[in-house]
Amino acid sequence: MEALLKGLDILYLAKCDAAKTGQTWQAFLPAGSLVRAAERLLKADYFIEDICAVDCVEGFVVVYHFDHFEAPGRVTLRVVVPHAAPQLPSIAGIFSGAEWHERETRDFHGVLFTGNPNFIPLLIDPEMADCFPLRKEEKARAKAKAMLEAGEVIFCAPAFTLMTPDAPAEANEPGGDQPATA
Amino acid sequence: MTRYQNIDHLAGDFYTQNFAQTAAEGNLILNLGPQHPSTHGVLRVVVELDGEYIMRAEPILGYLHRMHEKMAEVKTAAQFIPNMGRVDYGHALGWNWAFVGAVEKAAGIEVPERAEYVRVITCELNRIASHLLWWGAYLLDLGAFTPIMYAFDDREKVLDILQDPTGSRLTYSYYRIGGVAKDLSQDCLDSIRAFIPWFRSRLPMYKDLVTDNIILRKRIEDIGVIEKDACRRFGATGPVARGSGINYDVRRNEPYSVYPKLDFEIPTSERKCARGRYDVRMAEMEQCLRIIEQALEMMPEGDILVKGAPKPSWKVPAGEAYFAVEGARGKIGAYVVSDGGKNIYRTKLRAPGFCNLSLFAEVSRGTILADAVAILGSLDLIIPEIDR
Repeated sequence: MEALLKGLDILYLAKCDAAKTGQTWQAFLPAGSLVRAAERLLKADYFIEDICAVDCVEGFVVVYHFDHFEAPGRVTLRVVVPHAAPQLPSIAGIFSGAEWHERETRDFHGVLFTGNPNFIPLLIDPEMADCFPLRKEEKARAKAKAMLEAGEVIFCAPAFTLMTPDAPAEANEPGGDQPATA
Repeated sequence: MTRYQNIDHLAGDFYTQNFAQTAAEGNLILNLGPQHPSTHGVLRVVVELDGEYIMRAEPILGYLHRMHEKMAEVKTAAQFIPNMGRVDYGHALGWNWAFVGAVEKAAGIEVPERAEYVRVITCELNRIASHLLWWGAYLLDLGAFTPIMYAFDDREKVLDILQDPTGSRLTYSYYRIGGVAKDLSQDCLDSIRAFIPWFRSRLPMYKDLVTDNIILRKRIEDIGVIEKDACRRFGATGPVARGSGINYDVRRNEPYSVYPKLDFEIPTSERKCARGRYDVRMAEMEQCLRIIEQALEMMPEGDILVKGAPKPSWKVPAGEAYFAVEGARGKIGAYVVSDGGKNIYRTKLRAPGFCNLSLFAEVSRGTILADAVAILGSLDLIIPEIDR
């Protein structure tokens, strides 16, 4: 996977425990690298499983799952988009099936995919398609790092703090003044 | 989307108007469904026709959308299990399994061995029932009335068997987090043992009378050709991918439960057309019988539910898990993300039919309208699963 994504601008790459979470690799990407990463996955004969979004404190974590017919092992790509402007490029030009998954993600969370060839409501009636049922109330949102598997970190961009442990004040220890251990 | 409220009803609704924008002059826009019998429920396909040829097609979804993923956010994990039987009535136990499997994975729960065998036996019986439903209905689509009578006769026997442990006949809610709800009784085991030779004797008859029938073959051979590359781009799995020569079955490639201990084949076909998918499903039913036979032999005594199994108010520990099983239509996936709260934070359901149907627009281009129905049927669509 490192070789596959080589040269791409990525934020976080980790090897995961498939027995525990069902994924073997995960990578956080900036929106700008998504299309090129998808191109490389298709070239390496991966197929698309699904796309969904998880509404977290940090923004919408858009999750792309890929798997391989000959060499199974789920690869998860994630892109975090802000609640205020949830927008990222479409990969429907590469994985054609993404068109529907992206439209579904728009219906449920209101995440916009620029470049999707037919970006109209898919599952929800067009007359009420802007209700975004899976968006959460602000106080109901949880932190991504508390839920998503961190994995065995291969690479982490210095500016990327989403998956790094919280500052000492929020550590589990009572008193909270112990230094955080990475 | 209020700007579409005052549409001209003669010009069609939002989807028809949107579709018609790019239609060529003189071509006919036709809506197939959502109430047409060959669309199996309430699928709607808008097609642009030049004479009898399909220039463009677009499936319109959402007529059976129930927002199961939202319901998952307002129920505890155990309370959500009955929803799974409603997602896909054809292979309800496959969906039961995908969801409880994902939760078990997130919580690190080991399922007792007997329960694993009970799951394999019931899931495979359900797969036979699902394939029989597809087979009968598909041939009905193609104008052959009699086969569905035979298919339902056999399927009835499977439903009778499954009724005993599950308590229902269609929308099963039988698996539990950590096992299954009820053990297979002696009566049930006896009827499964009686069913295997019975059904095995029927399969050659179906081959002679239906599969080898020249009228059927002319209808389904060389139409709806799906290349391997398209399977990857659209994420097609199950008999659709295997009918295109891709040897991929979650039971073998991402093994779960006790499937690695069982000896069975993964039928594939290099035909890539509707006949390829047909052949794969027919061969799969025979393999289901093999699996059930072995599982009955190998099933140990013991518990069917893990000790201290989760109660309805039980909370899934924080974390994420993706679990996939091989359903009758392909790879069923459940992705759960939990924050440790009362309800699961986010549940994503991957429906194989959704991905398989998304192929249709590409596959149907350039075919004649009558073939489009044969292609749609060959994808084995269960609309509630696609719409979720």
